[in-house]
Amino acid sequence: MSAIRMPRVATVQFKPLRTKGAGRIAFLIVTSVLMLVPMYLLVVSAFKSQQDILAHPFSLSPDQLTTQYLEKAWTNPDFNILKGYAVTALFVVSVNVLSVALAGPVSYVIARRSERRYRMLLLLFVAGTFIPSQVLVIPVVYTLKFLGLMGTIPGFVLFETTLTLPFSIFLYAGYIMTIPASLDEAAAVDGAGKHRTFWSIVFPLMKPAVVTMVILNTFSVWNDFVNPQIILGPGSGLYTVTTGVYAAVSQYSTDYTVVFPTLLLAVAPLLVVFVLLQRHVISGLTAGATKG
Amino acid sequence: MRARLTTLSMVGPALVLFVVMLVVPVCLSVYLSLTDWNGYSANPVVVGLRNYLDLTKSEEAIRAGWVTLVIAAVGTVLLSVLGLGFALLVNGASRLNALFRVILFYPHVLSALVVGFLWSAVLGTSGVVNGWLTTRGAEVLPFLSNPHWALASLIGVLVWAGFGVNVVLYLAGLQTVSKDLLESARIDGASARQTFRNVTLPALAPVVTVNLVLSLVTLLKTYDLVVSLTGGGPAGSTQTAAYLILWDSFHNNALGFGSAQSVVLMIVTAGLALTVARLRSRADQGVKG
Repeated sequence: MSAIRMPRVATVQFKPLRTKGAGRIAFLIVTSVLMLVPMYLLVVSAFKSQQDILAHPFSLSPDQLTTQYLEKAWTNPDFNILKGYAVTALFVVSVNVLSVALAGPVSYVIARRSERRYRMLLLLFVAGTFIPSQVLVIPVVYTLKFLGLMGTIPGFVLFETTLTLPFSIFLYAGYIMTIPASLDEAAAVDGAGKHRTFWSIVFPLMKPAVVTMVILNTFSVWNDFVNPQIILGPGSGLYTVTTGVYAAVSQYSTDYTVVFPTLLLAVAPLLVVFVLLQRHVISGLTAGATKG
Repeated sequence: MRARLTTLSMVGPALVLFVVMLVVPVCLSVYLSLTDWNGYSANPVVVGLRNYLDLTKSEEAIRAGWVTLVIAAVGTVLLSVLGLGFALLVNGASRLNALFRVILFYPHVLSALVVGFLWSAVLGTSGVVNGWLTTRGAEVLPFLSNPHWALASLIGVLVWAGFGVNVVLYLAGLQTVSKDLLESARIDGASARQTFRNVTLPALAPVVTVNLVLSLVTLLKTYDLVVSLTGGGPAGSTQTAAYLILWDSFHNNALGFGSAQSVVLMIVTAGLALTVARLRSRADQGVKG
């Protein structure tokens, strides 16, 4: 498969890299513009009237711009955006903490033990990657109902944490294997227990992998739509940023003075964080992925 | 004994949660797929394989299956090719490259739901592009209102939003390419293309596999974007398997039938992912041998 496709990539993409530096830059600038146009439209349209959005989508003349629609979206009775931020941030933090607390120790055991059953355990966890969460949530509804956790924050956080386990354990176990076992043996000689050894010796060394997972989990929890929509449901009165956007936007999808300001408010926090931390995010993702 | 308890305390919590929230629900799906349950009646009646038989006769489900496979196949190829291509282009350590990397990656920070609403406002019949065309007296383009255009738009938006992740994964892989080998290839006078084919690409083999499998698994469960970009339309032409499964299970109260589709989707996902991984590992051995 790759044998057919990859050399073509090489001829198309690799040549300009060497022969024409200016061509490469020009190509990347054109691509960047294409990547940024929707974001530009999102930002400027949030400050315009319906008529101006449609007639002059790209223009940015000061007399067209108004903050009135943004203010209206901020105070939308269908969707309290500030509460949405708070609820979603709470979920992001809980899932990240719980995910590391659960996946860390089990990955340590898997990485340090050579018995067959621990390899089977790793396979069991990794197999979870192949289960589409959008489909899994259906039977999970009935599992949560049985446990009395349907429509509750703990129920949602536990399910969302479960979804992070397969990839976390895969990455952490792979990463811990690159950390010399002699370090924990030295700690064991000094009388430290397994838990202590893991949290005080191994865990600090696996920071790159943890950073990678925290970044990925933050994106996936903040942006998740189907799970909060189904597990928390409109009945619970708990809206995340995405389910709130859905409630606020889906009925008015052609009233762009509602759509654009709401979407802008929904993406702003995570986008601002990303832009401020961009170097750490991208290098954090690469660092964890290289070793794992 | 104490050592055993310690191990258990490290493995137990994660394993229990995984079993309760993932293994049990998957088994429940398999069981429900063999019943006619509607979601609220007291006792599901076991009907054997009837749901699976119905599935083979359901035009809607078969079409959703094909739509999903087209999205997964076309999308995976585009994501991998663009991912590797752009990773090579922005691999250098310059500030400009760092900026390009951020621009290519940023859509991943937006939720698929928001991306879909945003692009439907841009591409819709009364959207920004068509509004702009109309005021200039041009014809409206059916980005989301013609079945073929809509599917193409959906794949295009998926790729726009997702290939930055592949770029980052390939960039990670490029860092593992041996500097010594690249250096000696240069000294031996190898061309850029020869170096790429004989040094870079073999070193990237595991990353290529990870990219293909991740893209495939992600695309096979496409759902959020369908909700916000096309709503499955026009006339069901962009309904994916996940979309139809949730629709059948919760709106049509056909939980048994929905579960049968779920089981098929899970098997297809695992089967395709493992097949790709196996083909890739055979190809790697072919390269080495």
